[in-house]
Amino acid sequence: MKFRAKIVDLACLNHFTRVSNMIAKLAKTCTLRISPEKLNFILSDKLASGGVSMWCELEQENIFSEFQMEGVSAENNAIYLELTSENLSRALKTAQNARALKIKLTNKHFPCLTVSVELQLSSSSSSRIVTHDIPIKVIPRRLWKDLQEPSVPDSDVSIYLPALKTMKSVVEKMKNISNHLVIEANLNGELNLKIETELVCVTTHFKDLGNPLLSSESASQSRHPEDMAEVHIDIKKLLQFLAGQQVTPTKAVCNIVSNRIVHFDLLLEDISLQYFIPALS
Amino acid sequence: MSGHTDGLRPPLAAASRSLFGKAIQTLSRVSDDLWLDPSEKGLALRAVNSCHSTYGYILFSSLFFQHYQWSPSATMRDNDIPMNLNCKLAIKSILPIFRCLNYLEKSVEKCKIVSRLDKCRVVFQFFCKHGIKRTHNVYFQDSQPLKILFEKSLCANILMIRPRLLTEAIVLLTSNQEEVTFSVTPGNFCLKSSSGESLDLSSSVYSEMSFDPEEFDFFQVGLDTEITFCFKELKGILSFSEVMHVPLSIYFDFPGKPVVLSMDDMLLEANFILATLSDHPSRVSSPQSQSLCLSQALRRTEPTQSSAQVGQSQASQAPESISRAAPKRLFPKDPLDSSCATETKRASTNQDDISEVPESVVSDMEEGPGPSQLRKFSCMFFGAVSSQQQEYASHPLDSLAIASDSEEDWDTDRLERAGLRVPAAMVSQSQGIQQMLQAEKPVAKKVSEARK
Repeated sequence: MKFRAKIVDLACLNHFTRVSNMIAKLAKTCTLRISPEKLNFILSDKLASGGVSMWCELEQENIFSEFQMEGVSAENNAIYLELTSENLSRALKTAQNARALKIKLTNKHFPCLTVSVELQLSSSSSSRIVTHDIPIKVIPRRLWKDLQEPSVPDSDVSIYLPALKTMKSVVEKMKNISNHLVIEANLNGELNLKIETELVCVTTHFKDLGNPLLSSESASQSRHPEDMAEVHIDIKKLLQFLAGQQVTPTKAVCNIVSNRIVHFDLLLEDISLQYFIPALS
Repeated sequence: MSGHTDGLRPPLAAASRSLFGKAIQTLSRVSDDLWLDPSEKGLALRAVNSCHSTYGYILFSSLFFQHYQWSPSATMRDNDIPMNLNCKLAIKSILPIFRCLNYLEKSVEKCKIVSRLDKCRVVFQFFCKHGIKRTHNVYFQDSQPLKILFEKSLCANILMIRPRLLTEAIVLLTSNQEEVTFSVTPGNFCLKSSSGESLDLSSSVYSEMSFDPEEFDFFQVGLDTEITFCFKELKGILSFSEVMHVPLSIYFDFPGKPVVLSMDDMLLEANFILATLSDHPSRVSSPQSQSLCLSQALRRTEPTQSSAQVGQSQASQAPESISRAAPKRLFPKDPLDSSCATETKRASTNQDDISEVPESVVSDMEEGPGPSQLRKFSCMFFGAVSSQQQEYASHPLDSLAIASDSEEDWDTDRLERAGLRVPAAMVSQSQGIQQMLQAEKPVAKKVSEARK
């Protein structure tokens, strides 16, 4: 198994750092999957994450100027690593104005992802190299099946999300009132966030959001545009997702499968993020 | 025997006030108590942390002050050796006074510090703008300052660097671990965050960066070595040295021997002595639980030994799990001479002696504390030896640092929280120390009464 990659462009480096920061907020521990064309950050719906799953994908050639990998075997040309997300983002944070950044898989005492940052010294023209060894765990092949791209369910309603910052501030206040939030939307561009307790009921209405065209025509035809599809979810999970969004996405869609799951599908420039929150049982 | 002292009375000028304040802030990170130790050289501030792994000593020379007056309060019996002011202040009392450095520089026109032995207090007076005068009376505890003497220039490795370079570098170490490692060879200096030994994912990132010897103002490496010490202390010290605008000098040797970080300008000298992890072969557990500080080499030495640095084997009392450096004889002197000599030695050489305290000496109450006691230190972590084990230096453990804080210093809970484990054997020995100290207290009282 081998992996080495290099970033020399500052914009690409910042982009990669931002993604890493976002992942660090969304998942404490995650899986990094390295394949010849892509890098994926994966969180699968284990009990530990409370059923939440995440799939983030980026095309390696958009970020790295050099990229070489050799998977476990020729037929299984991929590498699956488990790491603490914050370790990677903190290491990348030190590379803010770096000349170059190299990442490679190493085994110094224990398997690591070594991030090597070349920084320009303020005092002279020479550079200083800082290396960070991030401990990782290699995931054996037999567990790979649990870490595949989740299938996107046929949703009842698909709607564009409002400004995530607004959603976040609303949900943050609601969190103090109740743990249980209802998210509902219809094909008329309306999305509601509701919480309900014995004493009080609070609803925030978002209108004129627009709906993307659904692929399956039959589903959309039989559905009345005013009908709301709703899911009851844990408010903290929604908040965690929203807190991770530091930049305005290029595209943000929410797919709801009534009483089953809510699926957020975001596009951040060229990086795609999918986040699934299951219904509360 | 004169009973009265006007003590010291140094008004502080302009920017030096904030420097003084910054010194207090820096020492407040080390410990909850601070010794105010004036002498004719100047005013020294000393602090040692509770687990005895960090010792800070900042000496403001008399020239630092606009006006500095110190008179020895009492003389010892028949010797004409002056007694120092044994003044220990709680940091809690003085830190708020010096907390706002900006205020000190801008609004305070003059700061006056007077000690009043008769009332057991130190008076800080601020003469501020608009005719406002603030007076703080801070009561002090009678406690002899811990003085550590350390022969810096004998260290194999001496480096001098502008503190800014190190500060910038430290920001790049991502690990939030407690320790930092300096690794040197003649051609290279490497700064590392200490690696945890556990292999799970949550163990911190291990970071490393190299410096070229050219980046240092002075680079002498006589011994290829790696020393590891407390990261937090380094940060505080660097912040102080930047304020001083002088290069930071680093003196060290092999692992286990303390590292000295020092800054020296004309008016002010600061030294921080930090214990380092020793390279004990049986070290298995994680760095934090190791004896960062507790090398308990207790042995009486003979006064007549020669001046060569002699490594000595340790007393058998020390528990197995504590690793320690071999003690070194730093000053071979006749105690009487040395006490005078050290008193008058120039601040900048700071040749401090480390004494080793014999465990088994019974204290002789009649004699009272001798002057050499001032130089005694229960060398919990230096493991060095001095020739000053004299009978008349009767307090075996002038465990001065332990004295006033008594129970607390050996509070295993606190130590554990600090990431250090104190073996049970250590604790019971220290309890023995406590008992001896309890017995000592009446003597100390006698002396202070005599002074009044």
